[in-house]
Amino acid sequence: MTLDPERCITCGDVAVTARVIEVRGQTATVELADHREQVGIELVEEVALGDLLLCHAGIALEKVASTQ
Amino acid sequence: MRFVDEFRSGELAQKLTREIVSLVEAGRTVKIMEVCGGHTHAIYKHGVEDLVPPEIDFVHGPGCPVCVIPMGRVDDAISLAERPGVIFTTFGDMLRVPGGRGSLLEAKARGADVRMVYSPLDALEIARRNPDREVVFFAIGFETTAPATAVTLLRARTEGVRNFSAFCNHVTIGPPLRAILESPGLRLDAFIAPGHVSTVIGTRAYDFIVSEYARPVVVTAFEPIDILQAVVMVLRQLRDGRREVENQYTRVVRRDGNRRAVAAIEETMELRDTFEWRGLGWIEESGLRLRPEFADWDAEIRFELPGVRIEDPKACQCGEVLIGAIKPWECRVFGTACTPERPIGTCMVSSEGACAAYYNYGRLARRRDRVPV
Repeated sequence: MTLDPERCITCGDVAVTARVIEVRGQTATVELADHREQVGIELVEEVALGDLLLCHAGIALEKVASTQ
Repeated sequence: MRFVDEFRSGELAQKLTREIVSLVEAGRTVKIMEVCGGHTHAIYKHGVEDLVPPEIDFVHGPGCPVCVIPMGRVDDAISLAERPGVIFTTFGDMLRVPGGRGSLLEAKARGADVRMVYSPLDALEIARRNPDREVVFFAIGFETTAPATAVTLLRARTEGVRNFSAFCNHVTIGPPLRAILESPGLRLDAFIAPGHVSTVIGTRAYDFIVSEYARPVVVTAFEPIDILQAVVMVLRQLRDGRREVENQYTRVVRRDGNRRAVAAIEETMELRDTFEWRGLGWIEESGLRLRPEFADWDAEIRFELPGVRIEDPKACQCGEVLIGAIKPWECRVFGTACTPERPIGTCMVSSEGACAAYYNYGRLARRRDRVPV
């Protein structure tokens, strides 16, 4: 995932939240502010379009409950 | 859209700060260890320390994987990177970490094929595209990063990618916390526990801190409002005489964590008998290695490594910083011989390291100028 340049990717706590715009097999395309990324979704159950995923180091770690 | 705006509200920060002021007892210091370097970074980036009253003392913990990697393991990585035919892949943060023989960046300057990746899956893709080369991934990090390595290993096995391997340095967060709690003379009142590690291992993983050491724990996210709210939750526990593991980060973290992620780690990795931590020494059952079933993808088995233990530079006090015994500015080389441009210790290399956080946000000396609330 593209990160805040001040942050350190080795630390898992720079994971970012992104919205799913496409699902294809074990890979989802997620959208951030200005770009898209592909992440592995093996570890998260039933990923659907529009879901918010917590992503780190190229994989989704968890679904994020909406704060809206 | 970054989904964080509501967690940076100045109005809410002021409200929480007023509650913190009302909960502290004048003159009685409350020492709260924020375990994760991500929290340390957020506290200084957003000026949280200046918002809270001086009775709140943030003690910076060992939860920065770059900071705790011993120099000998960096030398092992450099040895792998300098092998003919190897493409060595690593997260960018590890490039400047000094070992006994310099850094990976210096090895790259000498001609080693060292490449920065954002994901081990990127390293696997490099292996697919370079079938005549050996691609090694420098696997490092806590339980948040280990699942990415696990998924990559499982994909490598499924696809039969044989020219990919991982140099495994993954560590677990529980054992160093226990080691810190066992440190003689170190007084801590409570813990702010890492949010994203807890996404994987769940809040249940900290039960021992309550049951065996009677300290409050609040699992916390990484925005300033999250951290202020966690301080309120800690202070309420202390006021009420409660000792619990509470979850501030309910939008992501669950009590049992992510069982699929834990299963992926357990399928590919197992605990080492012992592992060396910078500043903390050898800690039993704190590090992970690949399981024998993944020997074909284990760089430590496929390649010969020096495996030499390197003493930390004598001037460097990262070890004391990492257990919260001293503040970064109390280190004898902080901001003088040791800077982010020319780091001596790992805490200054990683942007999540406590020393780098202090240096980058101007904490060159102790200052507690209060913001009126």
